Amino acid sequence: MQLEKFNYDNKIVRNFGIATIVWGIVGMTVGLLVAVQLIWPFMNLDNQYTTFGRVRPLHTNAVIFAFVGNAIFMGVYYALQRLLKARMFSDVLSYIHFWGWQLIIVAAAITLPLGITTSHEYAELEWPIDIAITLIWVVFGINMFGTIIKRRERHMYVAIWFWIATFVTVAVLHIVNSFELPISAWKSYYLYAGVQDALVQWWYGHNAVAFFLTTPFLGLMYYYLPKMANRPIYSYKLSILHFWSLIFIYIWAGPHHLLYTALPGWAQSLGVVFSIMLIAPSWGGMINGLLTLRGAWDKVRTEPILKFMVVSLTCYGMATFEGPMLSLKQVNAIAHFTDWIVAHVHVGALGFNGFMVFAVLYWLIPRIYKTEIYSKKWVSAHFWIGTLGILFYAIPMYWAAVVQGLMWKEFTPEGVLKYPNFLETTLQIIPMHMMRAIGGALYLAGVILMTVNLAKTMLRSKLVANEPAEAPALEPITKNEPTLHRRLERKPILFLVLALIAILIGGMVEMMPTFMISSNVPTISSVKPYSPLELQGRDLYIREGCVNCHSQMIRPFRSETVRYGEFSKAGEFVYDHPFLWGSKRTGPDLHRVGKKYPNKWHYDHLLDPTITSPGSIMPAYPWLIEQELDISTTPTKINAMRTLGVPYPAGYEDKANDDLLKQANEIAEDLKANQVEVLPTSEIVAITAYLQRLGTDIKVKAEDTQEVAKKD
Amino acid sequence: MNRILIDAAIAADSSSSFWSDGNINSKILLLALILVMSIVLIAVLVVLRAFRVVLQVTLPEVVEEEKKQKVLKKELSKTKRKAFWNKLMGLRPIEEEKDQIMDHAYDGIEELDNPTPAWFMGLFYGTILFGVVYLSVYHVFGIGASQDQEYAHEMAVAEKERQLFLASQANNVDENNVEQDKSPETIAAGAAAFQTNCAVCHGDKGQGGIGPNLTDDYWLHGGDVKAIFKTIKYGVPDKGMVPWQSQLSPLQIAQVSNFILSLRGTKPPGAKEPQGELVMPETNSPEEPADEATIKEAEEKAI
Repeated sequence: MQLEKFNYDNKIVRNFGIATIVWGIVGMTVGLLVAVQLIWPFMNLDNQYTTFGRVRPLHTNAVIFAFVGNAIFMGVYYALQRLLKARMFSDVLSYIHFWGWQLIIVAAAITLPLGITTSHEYAELEWPIDIAITLIWVVFGINMFGTIIKRRERHMYVAIWFWIATFVTVAVLHIVNSFELPISAWKSYYLYAGVQDALVQWWYGHNAVAFFLTTPFLGLMYYYLPKMANRPIYSYKLSILHFWSLIFIYIWAGPHHLLYTALPGWAQSLGVVFSIMLIAPSWGGMINGLLTLRGAWDKVRTEPILKFMVVSLTCYGMATFEGPMLSLKQVNAIAHFTDWIVAHVHVGALGFNGFMVFAVLYWLIPRIYKTEIYSKKWVSAHFWIGTLGILFYAIPMYWAAVVQGLMWKEFTPEGVLKYPNFLETTLQIIPMHMMRAIGGALYLAGVILMTVNLAKTMLRSKLVANEPAEAPALEPITKNEPTLHRRLERKPILFLVLALIAILIGGMVEMMPTFMISSNVPTISSVKPYSPLELQGRDLYIREGCVNCHSQMIRPFRSETVRYGEFSKAGEFVYDHPFLWGSKRTGPDLHRVGKKYPNKWHYDHLLDPTITSPGSIMPAYPWLIEQELDISTTPTKINAMRTLGVPYPAGYEDKANDDLLKQANEIAEDLKANQVEVLPTSEIVAITAYLQRLGTDIKVKAEDTQEVAKKD
Repeated sequence: MNRILIDAAIAADSSSSFWSDGNINSKILLLALILVMSIVLIAVLVVLRAFRVVLQVTLPEVVEEEKKQKVLKKELSKTKRKAFWNKLMGLRPIEEEKDQIMDHAYDGIEELDNPTPAWFMGLFYGTILFGVVYLSVYHVFGIGASQDQEYAHEMAVAEKERQLFLASQANNVDENNVEQDKSPETIAAGAAAFQTNCAVCHGDKGQGGIGPNLTDDYWLHGGDVKAIFKTIKYGVPDKGMVPWQSQLSPLQIAQVSNFILSLRGTKPPGAKEPQGELVMPETNSPEEPADEATIKEAEEKAI
């Protein structure tokens, strides 16, 4: 047996590590900013580029794709080489991967504050960036599979299974959820509309959590935890069982984000039951990790890195139990649209993802620098500050959610809402939001402490850029494998294909009928396409990120129909490219706001929300009054919509701007009659037109039928 | 003694009235009883402790033996507990781990050939069973209500409850039976509700703003109490007037209607120009002269 000598590439690991830390601080600082904006609207800084609706997606994208994303690549590039006993396939690809990913993040950080967004949560980036993500993801895939092909280890370890599943599923999710029709360099419309768009988006959104925030981290856990604790993995059988069941079941659970909406009932029920079935496969990862620590719990007492891992796995266990519970319709009825969901994702992100990233960083940086950590005491301090931060974050948010959720639903014996003014419920939970901001600040303080600690560690030594290693070349297969799965573990391409099949089944079963069978989205004849002005206004609504705080989905509950009006029907959204149902009600639902207030009300409210709603925490949008609408885009938008199936008559694109100006003049005239002078082509007129249209199509129908009845 | 106990028992039984009734004797008796019992308890503890000390001095070997037994018992229960835990978790004793290590390792990471824990498999199969039952209930046998059916049921129940409640209440007014009421209490209550709900659009003095002026003699949708009540209750959605029936109770709507009527002719500063048709106030009201005083009083109250 001949020993081959080679080097591990540590430089790429270090680079991704530094990117993790830098983007982590950026993303969390932005998170702190948005948390404070929910308490003091003036923290929107009177500036469209830093207003909540645009900055909140910046926070989520920065922490998920920049902080966590770079951390995944750091952890994978370190572990993959060692598990396969091979250097990364290509240094050039590693380099392209690293810089390509950083450029994507910079592009996101520039475009999102500019209001360039698709409005799909966690997929806000516009089509050119989507293409860049696809290319870089393929580079990552080639680099990973290239390394697997030239490996010196016959079988693939469980961590690698998780990364293969991550690679293939994220690719599928990203591509399917990026089917957009570009209309200009930085604007596109989704191919799907309404209910279908919602189903695709939450299939994506839920599985982005599964395959970007969960499976890569379980892979990291399977490598780093046994390394840190110096213990064997508890159960190989459990690894196999929970891996396959996890990836198969996860993909089905997306519709639990759309319970009690206009999504067909059967799809909702599939979302419920697969969420419940997900408990055991998720916990499989946690118990395999915690039982790996069996016999090493004395080390946990003294080793802060292991403390991070234990809390991380515990948070994972809590979040993956909480998720299925929130998927039960009865629980969801109260918790959906409240801060409960925000708390839930932060237990996962701060606890599970964040703490595991910190543990890996503390473990890995000293190793690639061949030194000791600068201060173990600081690591311990970071652990306690971070844990405190999570508690300060989560507990007030759960509290706020219960308080607000119940206030929304409370009636007086006379049958009227106890808190008819939505704002009252918002103001009630501001103290809880303050506590949350303190929790977030604590957590960020811990990260800064870590940064100093790791910087000092790096500075006291020098990076071992190429770490020498040796391993025997791969021998020809001589023995029969004891099990089929053991055979599969040495066939990476077959493994990839099987994982792909496992994750395609759920998505197909849910999407195909919703797209193909018309009875799943009953049409309503009175629902008409948006007028050109309303269409332009809708794009402004998307640009300003209104959907971050306002839902457009009235669920069939008495508490919602009394507050907002008739519940939302699937057929009302057939021209909504994209859907704008929203997932959080920081402010009230807007689906039936059309014609509820006069134009002047909307003008005052957007100029300064406290004029019409004293005490409101909504930011002011004065630039909508100053900025003029770009009506040169109207024909392109009409054409694009027609391509997507919206029935504008042929040649309408040439007349669209005439109609647009006519409608704009009407609104401007009405405002003038109410002592407001405004240009008909100002943006506020367009967004007002859109808001006044919302949910009115089926109101018209009711009047029509009444008239018909009278004639009879 | 029996007598006291019975008294105490009775007293305890009716604890709510115990402190309020005038029977001071029973209170003293009860307190005395508590005191005596406490002293007896303390005495028993002291005597017990004394016996222990005596035993330690006279027979030290017995005490020593007792102590040993105790430690042994504790250890036994500890191992038993551990065995129970291991069984529950499907864990083999850690000493046997060597035999379970599988014949492969990755970068030094070994794996054990442990079975999946029994409770874990139970949980997994249980959730699958839940799924099958759930889908059957809702989509195969049609026992579970769809969300539309749930909604219809919820609305029906709520409406029934509301009717029952209103029937039992005096404030069961509607646009057909509401009467003008100039009492200061009504006007003040109406003024308060007006300030929180209506002033944003109609001005704090009813002078108008986004909505029309409410202080002149011109009305878009009728100017008597019944018409105003109706306008508030159902709104005029096409013109931006919100229906208030889900936010204000019928009594509140009546109060606000009466408050609005009381504003007539107040000519507040910055009043919006008149809109709608001229509706002259009812002149046959016998209380006309008192009006202005009532309004002032009401406004003061509201403020």
